[in-house]
Amino acid sequence: MTTILGIIIIVCILLVIFYVARTVELTKELKGEADDTESTSNVQGYLMLGFLIAFFIGITWSSIYFIPKMLPAPSSVHGVEVEKLFNMTLFFTGIVFVVTHIVLFWFAFKYREKKGAKAYHFSHSNMLELLWTAIPAVVMLVLVVKGLVTWLSIFPDTKTLTKDTMVIEVTAQQFKWNIRYPGVDKDFGSRKIDTAHIGIATPDVWWKNELGIDWTDKASHDDFFADTLYLVKNKPVLMKLGALDVLHSFYLPHFRVKMDCVPGVPTTFYFIPNESTVEKRKLLSKLPEWQKINPETGLPKYATFNFELACAELCGRSHYNMQRYVMVVEQAEYDAWVLSHTPIYAAVEKAQNDALAKLNGSETSNAILSDSLKVAVDSQLVVELASNEVVLEK
Amino acid sequence: MATEEVVNLHAEAHHDAHDEHHPETFLTKYIFSQDHKMIAKQFLYTGMFWAIVGAFLSILFRLQLGWPDTAFPFLETILGKWAEGGKISNDFYYALVTMHGTILVFFVLTAGLSGTFSNLLIPYQVGARDMASGFMNMLSYWFFFLSGVVMFCSFFVHTGPASGGWTAYPPINGMRDVAINKGSGLGLDLWIISMALFIVSVLLGGLNYVATILNLRTKGMTMWRMPLTIWAFLFTAILGILSFPALLAAVVLMSFDRLAGTSFYLSDIVVNGQLLSHHGGSPILFQHLFWFLGHPEVYIIIVPAMGLVSEVLSVHARKPIFGYRAMVFSLMAITVLAFLVWAHHMFVTGMNPFAGSIFVLFTLIIAVPSAVKVFNWITTIWRGNIRLNPAMLFAIGFVSMFISGGLTGIFLGNSAIDIPLHDTYFVVAHFHIVMGVAAFFGMFAGVYHWFPKMFGRHMNDTMGYIHFYGTLIGAYAIFFPMHFMTGIPRRYARFDSFEFANNFGGLNKFISIVAMIVFVLQLMFVLNVVYSSLRGRRMKSLNPYGATTLEWTTPIEHFHGNWAGEIPEVHRWPYDYATNGQEYITQTTPLSEDELAH
Repeated sequence: MTTILGIIIIVCILLVIFYVARTVELTKELKGEADDTESTSNVQGYLMLGFLIAFFIGITWSSIYFIPKMLPAPSSVHGVEVEKLFNMTLFFTGIVFVVTHIVLFWFAFKYREKKGAKAYHFSHSNMLELLWTAIPAVVMLVLVVKGLVTWLSIFPDTKTLTKDTMVIEVTAQQFKWNIRYPGVDKDFGSRKIDTAHIGIATPDVWWKNELGIDWTDKASHDDFFADTLYLVKNKPVLMKLGALDVLHSFYLPHFRVKMDCVPGVPTTFYFIPNESTVEKRKLLSKLPEWQKINPETGLPKYATFNFELACAELCGRSHYNMQRYVMVVEQAEYDAWVLSHTPIYAAVEKAQNDALAKLNGSETSNAILSDSLKVAVDSQLVVELASNEVVLEK
Repeated sequence: MATEEVVNLHAEAHHDAHDEHHPETFLTKYIFSQDHKMIAKQFLYTGMFWAIVGAFLSILFRLQLGWPDTAFPFLETILGKWAEGGKISNDFYYALVTMHGTILVFFVLTAGLSGTFSNLLIPYQVGARDMASGFMNMLSYWFFFLSGVVMFCSFFVHTGPASGGWTAYPPINGMRDVAINKGSGLGLDLWIISMALFIVSVLLGGLNYVATILNLRTKGMTMWRMPLTIWAFLFTAILGILSFPALLAAVVLMSFDRLAGTSFYLSDIVVNGQLLSHHGGSPILFQHLFWFLGHPEVYIIIVPAMGLVSEVLSVHARKPIFGYRAMVFSLMAITVLAFLVWAHHMFVTGMNPFAGSIFVLFTLIIAVPSAVKVFNWITTIWRGNIRLNPAMLFAIGFVSMFISGGLTGIFLGNSAIDIPLHDTYFVVAHFHIVMGVAAFFGMFAGVYHWFPKMFGRHMNDTMGYIHFYGTLIGAYAIFFPMHFMTGIPRRYARFDSFEFANNFGGLNKFISIVAMIVFVLQLMFVLNVVYSSLRGRRMKSLNPYGATTLEWTTPIEHFHGNWAGEIPEVHRWPYDYATNGQEYITQTTPLSEDELAH
C-alpha cells in the first residue's frame, strides 16, 4: 500500500513539474520569446555563481563534519610515508580543484550572454598550451618520483630481510582467514598441494587439512592456528598470503596494508607496525570523536578500539563479514601468547588417538598420524576439539 | 555570413534525384533501418531503457546500504525469493551491484552514448549520406539489442544474474558447477553470451565509424577541418576495435575453464576440503586481459563525451574552441596512453613492484593531456558570449565533474597511495564522478544540443534547467562525501561487522535519499525526451544555434541521404566563431579573398 502511495506521489510530483514547465514554455512561445536566450542566460549566470558558492560551502562543511570520522592516522612505518604522499597529492590537486572551479563558474557567470556583446576571437596560443602542458608535467614528475620512492620502499627484496622479521601465513577462504604461526622454531612446516595431503575422507569433520600441511616435515609440529592476528610493536612482519577458493584481499586498514590473496599464486606483504593497540587507544582518547560514548558498550569509543583485518576483494555472499581482530603487543606479551597455543599437530594427534580409542574400545597410543587422518571420525570429535586451544571458527 | 534560412519542408525533398533509395516499408524504416539517424534514435531509446534499469538497480542496493536492518515488504513483491521478508539477500545484493556496473558501463555509456552520437553525427558532420555500410550499422544495433535481451533474461533464471562483480574475475566467476557463488552458474553463462554479442556490436559499429570518417568526408573536409566530435568518435572507435577483442578472448577462455575443465585462470583450488583438478593457470592473467579492455573502456566512455562537450562549449560560448590542434593531440595522447595503463587496476595483486612503477608513470602522464583539455575548455568560455541553455549548462557541469573526478585519479594512479585506497569508497567516488556522472553530463549536453536535429523539435528548457541543477547538486551530494569514506571497502552489503567501517550510517542514508531524488529527476528527463519528440516546440530555422557545422545544413525532416541536392563543399574549419567581425561563419562559406585557408 505504501509502495503504491509512494509511486502515486512521485508520479504526481513529476506531472506537476511537467505541466508547470510546459506552461512556462508555451507562455514564452506565445509571447514570442522562445528564441530569446538572453534573459534566461542572465538568470542562469547568477545560478552558476550561486552554485559555485554553495559548492564550496558544502565542501567545507562536509570536511569539518566527516574528517574526524575517517580512519585514524596510520599505525605502520610505511603507512606514515603513504599518508605524506597522500597529503602532498592533496595539496597540488586541491589548488587545481579550487582554482579551476572558481574560474569555470566565474566565467560562466561573467560572460553570460548579453545583447550586443561580442565574443572575443581567441583560437589558440602556443605559449599558453606550452605553459599548461609543462606545469602539470612537472608536478606529475614530482609526484611520480616521490610516489615510486615510497612504493619501492614498501616492497623490499624478501631475501634480504633481517632475522628478526616475523613470518605469518594467512590463507583466505570463503569466508574466513586461516592464520598460521610458525611456532617456537619460527619455521613453517611445508605444504603439499595434492590430493594425498589435502582433505580427508569424511566431510563432516571440522578440520580437513585444507592447507595440505605435510606432517612428515617436523617443522610443522609446532605450527599453530590463531583466531586473532598478533603482531609485535616495531617488529617487521612478512605476511605470506594465499587463498584456497576464490580471490580475497588481505586488508589491514589501520596499517595501510592491502594485498590480494590469489589461489595458486602466493603473494607477500612486508610492514612494520609502530603502535601497539594499547598505545593507539591512548592516542585516540585525546580526540573528541573517539571520546563519544558507544551506546552498545557504555564505554568511550577509544576504550574498545581494535585494529581489524578485513577482506577487500569481492569473494561471495559474505564478503562483508570476514572480520578478524589484530592485536599489536610488546614482545613479552607476544611470547606468552605463543606459548598459550596448542600446535595443530598435537591437537590432531590427540584427536586421532581419542578417535582410535573410541573405535577400538581401548587405549592405542602408537597409531601413525598420517593414516589416522584418513580414519573416519564421528562428529562428536568436534565437541571434544572445540574445548582445545585450537579454535578455527568463531 | 549565413543568414538563417527559412526551412523548406516540401515533400519533394524526398523524391529528389539524389535520393536513390528504394521505397521504405515500416519494417525497413523503423525496425531494420539502415539509416544512421534512425539507428541513432534506436541506440538512444535503448540506452535510456537500460539507464533506467541500471539506475533502478542502484536504488535497490542503496536501500540495503542506507537501511540494512529495515525490511521493505515491496521488495519481496517485486523480487520474490531474492528479498524474503523484504530484505535483499546477500546473493542478490551482489547480483545488483554486478548488473548495475555491467549495464551502465557497457549498455548505457558505451552503446547508448557512442552508438547514439557516433551514428547521428559522423555522417552529418563529415558530409556523408550515410555510414560506409548501412547494413553493418543495422547489424551493430541489432547485436546490441540481442545482447540486451540475453542480459535481461539473466534476471529471471534460477541462479539469478551474474553476481561476481562487473569485472567477472575468476575464480569466483571461473567455475560453473562449484557451489561458491550463486550467480556464477547459468546467470554468468548468459552474461558471457551477452558480452560476446555486445562485442560483435561494438566492432561492427567501430569499423563502420572509422571507415566512414576516413573515406566518406565531403569535398574540402580535410582531417584538420573535422569538428572535435568527429575526432573523438574516431579515437573512441579505434580504442574499441583494439581493446574489445581482448575481452572476447578473456571470456571465451573463461568459458573453456567453466565448461570444458581447462585451467587458464585456475590453479590449486580447494573447495569444501576437496582439491579441484584445475592446475597451472593464473587468475591474474584474466585481470590483465580484462583490464586491457577495461581501462581503454573508460576512455571509450569519456572521449565521446569530451568531443560532444568541446562542440557544445564552442557553439554556445560563440567562440572557437581554444587550441583545436592541442585538443586533437591530447585526444591522440590519451588514446595511445589508454593502452599502457591497464595494470594500475592491479597494483595490489602481487605484481612485480617494478612493473607497477611503469604503470604509475604512464598513468600519471595521462593527467597531462587531460589537464590540457580542461584548461582549453575553460579558456574557450573565457570572454565568450555564453548562451546558458541546458546543453551548455551540462557541458560546463561536465568540465566540473571531469576536474573533480580526474584529480582523484592522481591519488589512485600512484601505486603507494593505491594500497590503502584500492577497492574502497574513494575509488567508487572517483570513477562514478569521472566516468559515470561526467559521461552522463556529456551525453545530456549532446541530447539537449542535438535534439532539434534528431526530432525537428526543441526540448522543454524549463524541465532541462530543473534536470540540470538537480542532477549537478545531487551527483555531488551523492559522490563527494564518499571521498571521506576512504578506507571503507566497497562491495560490502553492510558495514556493521567492522568497527572501522561502521562510522557512516547517517551518510549512507543521506546518499540513498539523494540517489532516489536524482533517479526521479532522470525519469523527468526521459519524460521530456519522449514528450518533446512528439509534441515539443517545432524547430523553425535550420540552424537554431548559429552553428558552423554541416549537420545544420540538412533539412529538418529526415530522409535517407541527408542532403536533398549535392553534399555541400567545406571551405574552412568548424570553429569560425567571432571571426572577421562576424558572429559565425559556416563551414560551407567560401573563403573571402584576403582570408587564409584553415
